[in-house]
Amino acid sequence: MNQHVKNVTSETSDLSRRSFLVGTAATGLVLGYAGVPGVGEALAAAPANFEPSVWYAISPDGLVTVTCGKADMGQHIASTMAQIVCEELGAKWSDMRVNLASNDPKFNDPVLGAQITGGSWSTMMNFDAMSRAGAAGRMALTEGAAAAMGVPAGELAVRDSMIVHAKSKKQMSFADVVKSGKATKTFTPDELKAIKLKTQDQYTMIGVSVPQLDIPSKTNGTAKYGIDVMIPGMAYGAVVTPPVRYGATVKSVDDSAAKKVPGFIKAVTLDDKTQTTTGWVVAVANTYANAKKAAAALKVSYDGGPNAKVSSESLLEEAKRLQKLDDSGQFFVKDGDPAAALGTAAKVLEAEYTTSINIHAPMEPMNATAEFKGDILHIYSGNQFATRSGAIAAGAAGIDPKFVVMHQMWLGGGFGRRLDADMMVPAVQAAKAVGKPVKVIYTRENDMTMDFSRPLTYQKVKAGVDGDGKLVALSHDVVSAWPTQRWGIPDFLTPSVDKKGPLDSFTVNGSDFFYTVPNHHVRAIKNEMAHNATPSGQLRSVAPGWTFWAVESMIDEIAAAAGKDPAQYRISLLDGAGKNDGGAQRLRNTLLAAMGLAGYGTKKLPKGEGMGVACVSSQERATASWTACVAHVAVAPSGEVTVKKLTVATDVGTQVHPDNIRAQVEGAALWGLSLALYEKATLKDGGIEQTNFDSYTPLRMSQVPEVAVAVIANGEKATGVGEPAVTVVAPAIGNAIFNASGARVRALPITAEAVKGAMKA
Amino acid sequence: MPTLTINGRSMSVDAANDTPLLWAIREQLQMTGTKFGCGAGLCGACTVHVNGEAVRSCQTMVGDVAGKKITTIEGLSAKGDHPLQKAWVAEQVPQCGYCQSGQIMQAASLLAKNANPTKEEVVAHMDGNLCRCMTYSRIQKAIMRAATEMRTASAAGNERRPT
Repeated sequence: MNQHVKNVTSETSDLSRRSFLVGTAATGLVLGYAGVPGVGEALAAAPANFEPSVWYAISPDGLVTVTCGKADMGQHIASTMAQIVCEELGAKWSDMRVNLASNDPKFNDPVLGAQITGGSWSTMMNFDAMSRAGAAGRMALTEGAAAAMGVPAGELAVRDSMIVHAKSKKQMSFADVVKSGKATKTFTPDELKAIKLKTQDQYTMIGVSVPQLDIPSKTNGTAKYGIDVMIPGMAYGAVVTPPVRYGATVKSVDDSAAKKVPGFIKAVTLDDKTQTTTGWVVAVANTYANAKKAAAALKVSYDGGPNAKVSSESLLEEAKRLQKLDDSGQFFVKDGDPAAALGTAAKVLEAEYTTSINIHAPMEPMNATAEFKGDILHIYSGNQFATRSGAIAAGAAGIDPKFVVMHQMWLGGGFGRRLDADMMVPAVQAAKAVGKPVKVIYTRENDMTMDFSRPLTYQKVKAGVDGDGKLVALSHDVVSAWPTQRWGIPDFLTPSVDKKGPLDSFTVNGSDFFYTVPNHHVRAIKNEMAHNATPSGQLRSVAPGWTFWAVESMIDEIAAAAGKDPAQYRISLLDGAGKNDGGAQRLRNTLLAAMGLAGYGTKKLPKGEGMGVACVSSQERATASWTACVAHVAVAPSGEVTVKKLTVATDVGTQVHPDNIRAQVEGAALWGLSLALYEKATLKDGGIEQTNFDSYTPLRMSQVPEVAVAVIANGEKATGVGEPAVTVVAPAIGNAIFNASGARVRALPITAEAVKGAMKA
Repeated sequence: MPTLTINGRSMSVDAANDTPLLWAIREQLQMTGTKFGCGAGLCGACTVHVNGEAVRSCQTMVGDVAGKKITTIEGLSAKGDHPLQKAWVAEQVPQCGYCQSGQIMQAASLLAKNANPTKEEVVAHMDGNLCRCMTYSRIQKAIMRAATEMRTASAAGNERRPT
């Protein structure tokens, strides 16, 4: 659909084949990879024209500014990138600054080849490149200082932005070297690769909880989010969205009442050829308050389109119908022959697991500001996928994506919501229609009803155990909308095992677990009706948020049927055989750590209380952060569940910032709790019924239980922490409810009625 | 044109009396530290003080606060060093940070009246403020830290006072 995305993703960005340049420009020292469009030209350009927007720059006053191509939505990734550079560069932390990147391809992720933030990928995929960039800078500065001091470079030590020659007691600061203009160096790809990075015992920054660079601005109101952008002469847009989530068209717009609203400029009916939105109208006015008044005064009539009768119930019914068909879907895992093994198993268990539609609802409602200036369309918006979103903005404007500049802002929450680009469309088309910059802000009602939600999911799992209680077969069908296929970017899809074409692995990740099960099938089945009626998105943790709900509940059901302790049963399945070698052992150790910290099995709990465990390899097999949870709950006879404590252990390999990891894991675990007990959206007549925080109700302070976090850092490669803990909590709670009351719940969110009903059964 | 007294300064705003205070502050006065979250008084992101009371500025009309003393996050302290702001940094509370102006303003109205709140009092006072990043436990810790600092400072002040 869009050329820009294709261009970018098809271009390999393998940094191992690129030179690294360190050069002096008018504004100081600039450092970046060569061959990345822009860097070489920037260094070659006359210094006066130079914009130091490469990976990082050191100004003559010694301040080091790292440009972060990752969206910072509270995971402090900008600060983390600076910390990784700082370690190898040898700078003083108080000299470090961060800058948010534009959508220029030179800031693309070195592994992913695009600007996209998600998957808990950032630290893992940027650690090496950022480390090498830092080390190359240190070497260039050291050689420059050696030349200036007239001493051998090998005798110099770097620490806290100072380069010191111990013998002669001479020293130069980074600022001195930059001002001297002597630090110029090119590293060939081989030289860059040959740089010996620090070993863990040499770290002075990695593993230290330095003050996050963005936090002071977030305590005094100065941090600028997309919604805070002010452009001289701009107007404001309020959107009017149809009662149907997707597929409606505008039949007519009567703006006679809106015209009486002071400051009203125009009602703009969107013509969205990117098909991101359907049936939207923007009321543009001189202030947002007036735009909202005008929006309320518009009389818009709609054709509801093909999804106008769809409901949560019909989506679930369709999912069940699809699952029953033998030829539905594609295989994600196809090991052995579960059907045969189930036929000879001593015991067969069968269960259905569901999750509801869920809404991202970041605290900053969606917004974007668009300004046409000369040939260039400027977009100001906090966004997680600048590469694609810039292309959508271009599509909305009818121009080539190379003429779009995306100005990144701090994100007032992302959670996957800001991977999407719907907000670009009304801003761009309103700006075009009124000939002024326009800032469009969604109301909370727009934001909730037009969310690219976590899809409603239906999973059917069949398991067979032999006479010894050993798990011999597992057949797992996952039916959902396909959020990532919606992007139309083939690179993000996965070939199916049965060669029936690509599947959206972001609907089944996690189901390819590390338990040893000889006969194991997973089918990914696309619910086309849900895909069309509720265009889905990536909600914090994506597939493992539902696949582990099914897997980890079912493992518990199997253990109970086999008369085994559910934690010990998991440990026996994590034997590390074959392809599970390595991962299984790490997950087993993590589970044991959580059990130890929670006192699992060591204390007698009062009647009505119980503990449940779950362990996960989220987000993906290849990028797992090994995570386990012990939930301690109390279940009242009414079915009311109180979570008393969540104990979460996670193996992250290497900790860049221990305090941040704890903050992320705790936040993720509480997201897991919120999704498990408090958040539910429903579809009726094609529309999302929940419109604000009175009917869609994320966790509040009074609902927060005690949370204990154990972080395991064993020196393996650094892995991500933003999402995995989301996925482990719901099954741990479900399993704890079973342990406490004998009630097995299989639908998220868990309600008191469901628990009570299951108790009676 | 209504005149508002915000952060000790008198400012006239070009807005109708029925304009929510939130938008007058953000757009007319271009003080963007106060955030829009829900427009319905359900999330607390837009919390400011009117005569020392924490109110939701999305539910407060400009015409109703003329002549009253309004304080926003920008005016809570001269240099961003209110004990709560310092505690927020010390405890590294914010993640995305979007709700935190509202959280700090809400907490400040508690500590102004109750320098020694219990955990239950903190939770009751803060429960209307949503944090989607779920930084709740750090918010609690930071409030307790600030309360301690304020009590210590005032005790030190008392000691110096001649009797």
